[in-house]
Amino acid sequence: MPRAIRGVLIECEPAIKSIIVHLDSVNNDIIIEDLDEQHLVVKENMVHSLKQKLEERLRETYRPEEPLADSD
Amino acid sequence: MSVGTQSYQLVDYLEKLPGTTFRKLYQQPSTAFAIFRRMLPDLAKLFVQALLYAPSPLLLSQLDIWVTAAGKLQRDRALSILRSLHIVQISPPSKDRPQEIQLATNFMNSLRHALEGSSTHSSFGVPSTLPVDSTIDVNFLDRYARKKWEDILHYVVNSVGGDGVGVGSAGGAGSSSGSGPKASVKDLLLAGRLVERRHDTRSGVGITQAGFTFLLQEANAQVWTLLLLWLEAAGHNPDLGMESVDMLSFLFMLASLELGRAYDTNALSEERRNMLPSLVDFGLIYIPRDTRQYFPTRLATTLTSTSSALRSLSAGFAAAAANAPGSAPGDVATLGPAPAATADTKGSIIIETNYRLYAYTSSPLQIAVLALFTQLNMRFASMVTGRLTRDSIRRAISYGITADQIISYLAAHAHEEMVRAAVTKGTPVLPPTVVDQIRLWQLENERMHTTAGFLFKDFDSMDEYLALSSYAEEVGTLIWKSDRKQMFFVSKFEQIRDYLKSRKKVE
Amino acid sequence: MPPKRKAMPAGGSVISKAGRTSAMSTPGPATPRSLDSPMVSDVDEDLIDEDVTEAQKEHEELLNKESEEFVNSWAIGSSRFQKPAKQDYRDSASHFFGKRDFSWLQLKPDHKDCPLWIDPEKGTIVLERFNEHASKATDFLTAIAEPKSRPQYLHEYALTTHSLYAAVSIGLQPWDIISTLDRFLKTPLPDSVRDFITSCTKSYGKVKLVLKNNKYFVESVDAELLQTLLRDEVIGKLRIHGSDEITTSYAPTMGGLVIPGTQNAAGVHQAGLRQGDKKAGEQGEATKETELLATLNEEEDDEEDKEAVHAFEIPDSAVETVQKRCLDLQYPILEEYDFRNDDVNANLDIDLKPNTLIRPYQEQSLSKMFGNGRAKSGIIVLPCGAGKTLVGITAACTIKKGVIVLCTSSMSVVQWRQEFLKWSNINPDDVAIFTAESKNKFTGNTGIIVTTYSMVTNNRERSHDSKKMMDFLKGREWGLMLLDEVHVVPADVFRRVISSIKSHSKLGLTATLLREDDKISHLNFLIGPKLYEANWMELSQQGHIAKVQCAEVWCPMPTEFYDEYLRATSRMKRTLYAMNPRKFQACQYLINYHEARGDKIIVFSDELYSLKQYALKLGKVYIYGSTGQAERMQVLENFQHNPQVNTLFLSKIGDTSLDLPEATCLIQISSHFGSRRQEAQRLGRILRAKRRNDEGFNAFFYSLVSKDTQEMYYSSKRQAFLVDQGYAFKVITQLANIEKTPDLAFATAQERRELLQRTLVDNEKGTEEDVENDDLFGKISSRGRKKGTRRTAGTLGELSGAGDMAYMEQKKAANRTLKKNIKAGQSLFFKKIGREKEKALKKA
Repeated sequence: MPRAIRGVLIECEPAIKSIIVHLDSVNNDIIIEDLDEQHLVVKENMVHSLKQKLEERLRETYRPEEPLADSD
Repeated sequence: MSVGTQSYQLVDYLEKLPGTTFRKLYQQPSTAFAIFRRMLPDLAKLFVQALLYAPSPLLLSQLDIWVTAAGKLQRDRALSILRSLHIVQISPPSKDRPQEIQLATNFMNSLRHALEGSSTHSSFGVPSTLPVDSTIDVNFLDRYARKKWEDILHYVVNSVGGDGVGVGSAGGAGSSSGSGPKASVKDLLLAGRLVERRHDTRSGVGITQAGFTFLLQEANAQVWTLLLLWLEAAGHNPDLGMESVDMLSFLFMLASLELGRAYDTNALSEERRNMLPSLVDFGLIYIPRDTRQYFPTRLATTLTSTSSALRSLSAGFAAAAANAPGSAPGDVATLGPAPAATADTKGSIIIETNYRLYAYTSSPLQIAVLALFTQLNMRFASMVTGRLTRDSIRRAISYGITADQIISYLAAHAHEEMVRAAVTKGTPVLPPTVVDQIRLWQLENERMHTTAGFLFKDFDSMDEYLALSSYAEEVGTLIWKSDRKQMFFVSKFEQIRDYLKSRKKVE
Repeated sequence: MPPKRKAMPAGGSVISKAGRTSAMSTPGPATPRSLDSPMVSDVDEDLIDEDVTEAQKEHEELLNKESEEFVNSWAIGSSRFQKPAKQDYRDSASHFFGKRDFSWLQLKPDHKDCPLWIDPEKGTIVLERFNEHASKATDFLTAIAEPKSRPQYLHEYALTTHSLYAAVSIGLQPWDIISTLDRFLKTPLPDSVRDFITSCTKSYGKVKLVLKNNKYFVESVDAELLQTLLRDEVIGKLRIHGSDEITTSYAPTMGGLVIPGTQNAAGVHQAGLRQGDKKAGEQGEATKETELLATLNEEEDDEEDKEAVHAFEIPDSAVETVQKRCLDLQYPILEEYDFRNDDVNANLDIDLKPNTLIRPYQEQSLSKMFGNGRAKSGIIVLPCGAGKTLVGITAACTIKKGVIVLCTSSMSVVQWRQEFLKWSNINPDDVAIFTAESKNKFTGNTGIIVTTYSMVTNNRERSHDSKKMMDFLKGREWGLMLLDEVHVVPADVFRRVISSIKSHSKLGLTATLLREDDKISHLNFLIGPKLYEANWMELSQQGHIAKVQCAEVWCPMPTEFYDEYLRATSRMKRTLYAMNPRKFQACQYLINYHEARGDKIIVFSDELYSLKQYALKLGKVYIYGSTGQAERMQVLENFQHNPQVNTLFLSKIGDTSLDLPEATCLIQISSHFGSRRQEAQRLGRILRAKRRNDEGFNAFFYSLVSKDTQEMYYSSKRQAFLVDQGYAFKVITQLANIEKTPDLAFATAQERRELLQRTLVDNEKGTEEDVENDDLFGKISSRGRKKGTRRTAGTLGELSGAGDMAYMEQKKAANRTLKKNIKAGQSLFFKKIGREKEKALKKA
């Protein structure tokens, strides 16, 4: 008898997957199953915070917001 | 977002209507005439003219004399439109008889009436015989319609954070003031998903992708978008006592009226009189207090105009703005943010390679549109400055506005200096690096795709895995699978569960 | 503008003012300094001498603070100039702009003919480049405001205290500024701006320090003002009591001064040859056209009544005290050198070689310096490759007194000397060099000394020769001090240079007046105002510097690298994103592509580890800090002349002062965080490309960045300055057919894993990276970058596996092959060049 586990399938680039795996490595509370380079299944209740953490992580790689040199 | 967009919307709507609706519609000469004039490609018009006074059905092959060999595609297209609008009837193909074509009876009769003016039918509206207030002239009506329409656009665009409509607008550029559009209009915009309820904006609603598409349309197409929403809403609510066929007929009739002239409300049926308040809310007609008169505005009289006539719409509004008290000097006032295709051929926006944006405008409406995707910085009497930033673009994208929409908006409104430089150097109008970056910013948003569902694993055998995964694939719930790992992911659980049970039983 | 400042308590206003304006005087966004302070900020520690005493430091800090406070109190945003404005112009779009809705400023009837808008609150000026009066307005703005953004259609400038200070110092009068600005504006000039200009110009430039007949005079056109100063308790006491309290003479004019190499000079020359020929006047007109200021000056010259100036004398010892006191009194002192009347210091026999014609922008910049016939101290900003050196030399030829040139490296010392010999008729014996290797003096009674900042600020034990040399430098008065690459030198170093070596005028030269720390503003007080800043795009369009295509190439990291990256320390992160095999492949691909096109390529890497790995693997020559002087010369010679050597790997020692006009393509594989200056400096390496005027020629500048790493952030930040100059960086996410590159490195997963392992092992134990600290050519010293962080160099061979050893040996070195070939006499040509070079060096 197979098992069915509720979760959220994430399809993403390898780099994003690496970050998720890295985030998970702290408490092992995110990933249910690591499927392949671009897929993994994560806990449904963690998706929201995961997205936030991911955004935080990636922020340091984005074009910096130049405050207008002449604005407040 | 081309000039032709609006007619396709209307065509799309009409094509969905059943044949009986058309038979009713075509009872009105004004409708038949409007559709003839407005909705048909030239070749189709030619066919209609050929058929209009033909004593008997023509052979389909006879139409070919107007068509060159190369124009076959156009012929087929024309015929297809005529057929989908139920204007012609074509006999089914058979071995015995060649195919014949003739006009639908109602359409033929109404169009003949319209062209001959031979009927006493009130289809084209009955002018009022009462004395007319001399202050209500074309200029007045243009100002009135412009304000009404801008209120609606402002509501859509200003639904993004900020103060919303009507704040501190006294003495502004003669646009938004007072209370904004009526609640009924707001409901319509919500129902049509041009805006959606949001908690993070002060007005409680936020613009959607459809809303942004709406803003990008030229005025005439915007009007039709709203009117079609109105028709649909009435269709869903029979209690209103408005029938969409009659509504449509009425709109076509209004389109045939003369701008600046007063018409008699008493000559209208009760159903149509019930429609007047909504049309007033949209700015299509003006009704002076305590009179039995109504004045169609330019928004109404240009409903079925060809694109060349449409220019008069923007031009009229431009004139209205110029005459409006309190309008800023130097404003080439524009109705709606998409005037480039019409009267105001001079674009206003300059986007530099360092993402700085300069827009030569003083229109609060256009500024509000820019604010959707720009970090605005300074405003002068005839120009605003700002910058495209990752955050400003991502915010726009979070409203559902796409990178491509922003890019086409910038391209459509590019300042003449940019266009000139592009032509001289043979380069793109917008800096390619900026265009790329806007797209890249959008891509950042699409780096992760999530699907809720169920992971199946730990199968007893490869056979079991294969059977279940192929079943999931059959029923269309399979999202991902790996034969090697013997795992798959489905979006829905129930069907597989049932299938498992039934398999169990069989075993 | 709402009445935002009225409720400010008296005590709080100082703080708030300082806060507001420091944001404004910083040339860009704050670097995330808190992350990794000493590394991220752009301070060049190389030149900071740790031997400075605490007291000295404190004193310097105090001076810095004072000048900053002074500047801030006069910024336009300060409540001094801002009055609450009317509110009734607001409409439904106003809220998008907050306080920055200036639509209440009514347009003038002829606004379409006027090219400018001004923001009454911060003095930001927007210029329509496509307006018919744009070029006149540009000349004007260059003189009075700070350029902020200069892309294609609309430019932005900022009116600041510094920029107005500079405007006044080059001879513009407040009413000139106000009326010209008013004329160009689409709206009437806002009162706040008028007040701002009036107040700044009232206090700036009113008091001058003049070294005349070797005596220092405090001079002003305003006799009343001098009386005020004399009544001051500090200054009053310092005055030298002579026969007259205040002497009065006439204000100087440009009268007859001709800057060599200009059209005017040619005209004078011609007129001399053919008397009565009117051509001179005609030629002069061309320059007048472009030079609004010259016109203004000439108008003054025509005035019948010459302006009277008043002065009193102070002793040499009191100069700094008086300067500081005047600053406190808000009358910052301007220094001027009346070199034509200096009959104490010997004249130097120097002139530009005949037929040397300087370019219009060079002339324009010099006319700011010599506008009134005296030499004003200040800074001239020209892009790399635009001929800064010639500007310096022309200034020397104008003043014709002793010159001391300060450079950042001994390599550039040599280059400066060569340039003097190339452009001027100076006797080679009169140009001497003072470096660690060479301590010559000129033979005559005056001459030129070229040296480095480090040589003259080194406080530690000096050799006997050095000491003697320093005494010589200190014991003289110099007519002109040329300060090369001023942007890299910390304020403290300047202060020491300036206090120990006495010069009548100072000219700072740089390509980018830009620092991630905000020490630039102090340069204004230490050297003088920015006299001129060129427009990069304009020079490039005119063909003075090369056109460049810029691109940022995104290189995804293989998963195993990225996993490691996420876990790594910040130091290791930098190594990993430099060693990303996809970046390596991109580099290989671009080198192949551009070598095939006939380009000469420089690859820059701050990471020494990757520099060597890349160069060795690809079999290319490289130079970094530890490369010996002889080897450097050899590699450079080959890169320039050997058709087999087309790619050169350089560490950051090649960022500045390296003149390689053969280079036409730059590839950057690792760089210094978010340094906008380094980005501009590096771009400068290809701006003087020899082939720049070939039809359709483009130089190329690639920045390779590892995707989804901090490098992306830094890369964008680095580009900010160039992007504001109008450069556009194209993002390349995919290099077409890269996989078809022959012998593509790290093509298999196995190779990539090995690379990762090797990189981790090699770098865990420390690398040579920390040892490289000469930013400069020529090794001056081997001080550690930071105390305590110096690590021992681990050799690559012993740390890597045996297989790698073999690879190292085999690849070792394109550098070595070069040497062999030359020694084997395979190229007589290079032998000859080498010999000549050596001779030249010995001679120098």
